[in-house]
Amino acid sequence: MTVRLALIATGLVLALPAQAMDLNASIIVAPQVATGNRASPYFVGPPIVSLPDRTSRQDLELRAREGGFNAQGTLRWQVAQDAKPEYHGIANQFYYDGELGEGMGFTAGKKVMSWGVGFGFRPLDLIQRENRRGVNLPALVGQPLLAVEKFNADEAWTLAWVRPGEGGGSDDNRDPALAFHWYRLAGGDDLHAVARLSQRHGIEAGFGATRVVGDEWSFHGAALYERHYRKTINSMTETGGLLATTDPMAEATRQDGLKLVAGAQWTGESGWSVLAEAWYDADAYSRAEWQRLDALTASQRALAGLAPAAAIAGNVGWSSQAYLNTNLLRENLLLRVGHDDRDGFKPYAELLATPRDGGLVLTVGTAYEGNRQRLSGGLRQSGGANDSAYARAPIKRVIWLEWRLALF
Amino acid sequence: MSKQLHAFAIALVALPAFAADEVVALLKQADAFRLPAAAVRVETHVELFRNDVLDKERLYTVYVKPGRRSLVLMKSPSEIGQKVLMLADQFWLLMPESQRPLRITASQKLLGEASTGDIANMTWSEDYDGSIAGETDCPQVPAGLPDMPVAKAHRCLHLDLAAARNGVTYSRVELYLDKASKLPIKADLYVGSGKRAKEAWYAPRVVDGHQRIMTMLLLDDIQPNRRTVVRYRSLVAKEAPDEFFNPAALVRNSLAGW
Repeated sequence: MTVRLALIATGLVLALPAQAMDLNASIIVAPQVATGNRASPYFVGPPIVSLPDRTSRQDLELRAREGGFNAQGTLRWQVAQDAKPEYHGIANQFYYDGELGEGMGFTAGKKVMSWGVGFGFRPLDLIQRENRRGVNLPALVGQPLLAVEKFNADEAWTLAWVRPGEGGGSDDNRDPALAFHWYRLAGGDDLHAVARLSQRHGIEAGFGATRVVGDEWSFHGAALYERHYRKTINSMTETGGLLATTDPMAEATRQDGLKLVAGAQWTGESGWSVLAEAWYDADAYSRAEWQRLDALTASQRALAGLAPAAAIAGNVGWSSQAYLNTNLLRENLLLRVGHDDRDGFKPYAELLATPRDGGLVLTVGTAYEGNRQRLSGGLRQSGGANDSAYARAPIKRVIWLEWRLALF
Repeated sequence: MSKQLHAFAIALVALPAFAADEVVALLKQADAFRLPAAAVRVETHVELFRNDVLDKERLYTVYVKPGRRSLVLMKSPSEIGQKVLMLADQFWLLMPESQRPLRITASQKLLGEASTGDIANMTWSEDYDGSIAGETDCPQVPAGLPDMPVAKAHRCLHLDLAAARNGVTYSRVELYLDKASKLPIKADLYVGSGKRAKEAWYAPRVVDGHQRIMTMLLLDDIQPNRRTVVRYRSLVAKEAPDEFFNPAALVRNSLAGW
């Protein structure tokens, strides 16, 4: 379906006369090398878990705008070590922004709609739910929605029906919902309020603000309450048992969750900038949940020689899905230092810490922007205290590059 | 005698106010060479030279409205979809990847190869006040700059301007205006630390019977091998609706056709 939509979008884009619209195309080549952590209790090699060391994503990205019509599509060729190449057509966005009168408009189609406040974590992103901590990520894919928006000089609101007509979603990105965003520029502060009603989460409601102080400082904060929140946990950590014969990772529903973020950013006229941010994510594992999973995994590893190796590896592999979460721990601290030399060169270093277990993630990277080309790359290394979630991650290092060429 | 003293005292008190009014009037006259109307749409072409070799080209559409409001739409292929909104001393950046208006500080506005402030701020009278430092021979364009006509020998007014509001791109400007016409000739642009960041030269051209500043040349003091040529391809009186200047509206494509 996605391939078909992408091809239709691409066909429409190419069929329309280029001079009548804004039409842009870019080529993106993004190779990546991941180094497994063989010392991790969660590391399982092939054939149970295939983590290709070397991958590369090649995208042809097309964007078109004409009047209120907007389309963005990607034709992707993905290669990975020891795997067949994959080809994908992706309709990232395909929507129409129309007017309903003075200061009022509507949107129909598939659109990236981001509402969040924050850098490493955005609790208020109730529609897009973007992974802010990934590296070398492809372009976002929007959500199908119908939205009504009202604007005046300093206030705006949006009411969106996300995934209209669909039944209950299997995950947060496929969860039909009615969502509301209110924005006000009040005395120099950006104020946001959001609410969302869905089958998976019930009611979610939150508030956020950004304040700029002087020419160099900005402060931001946001809080979100969710009536129900869900996390994927190994059911044997709650019900007992050592080895499962089917995937024991199951979604557990909890009540009354909170997501919080607070941060400060300083940018000097020298081009240096420092960001400090702290966040709490109820959807992530608590330290106790990791300890239970660690204990289960240790018990399973201790069965070596007593139980079939494939059964042990399979169970550990299932548990390693815990590392698919955006935030591994609920409590997170981020420090980022960057520089902009005003000539297109932008190096940065950032350190993420999980104070509950002493985990650390160091990322260093840089980007250079030329006339039509942009080259970025970096290295991310996980570590910290030996028993921390990040130190035990099955992948300990990622090195990536992205070369982007704007064709027209 | 008493009456004379009284009149002298009034004159002393009124003099600074008069001087300030005179500076405001001069700045308004100078602004008129840059903007043909209070609300305009400007198509801007920027060339960035490094060691006299063209390094990068950028295209911008800028909407300017009274009340220190500017909206900059990036149009060159590598920046397409980016927008910067400036409402007095408040700024937002929209990156097309995330579709989220990001609040930025005045310092962040200065970042990037071509400072957004240089592109979007086209007036002095709303942002600066100061004094007339004196009268001098007009500064001469450094030799060998291909984009600037050689100025005739004229007398210039030398204005020493300080930012009157927060969030102004440059905290101090030394502005040279042709004494007779008030045409802007040159500006020295200083950042908050007091350091001169750039030197701006203005080149006029006759458009629709009026002299207009259609080219601005920026020489970078921090990176002296860089030269930026800002060409205003068109300046059209156009008043975009107020709601387009709402940060939350940046995600919409509403400006198509404006």
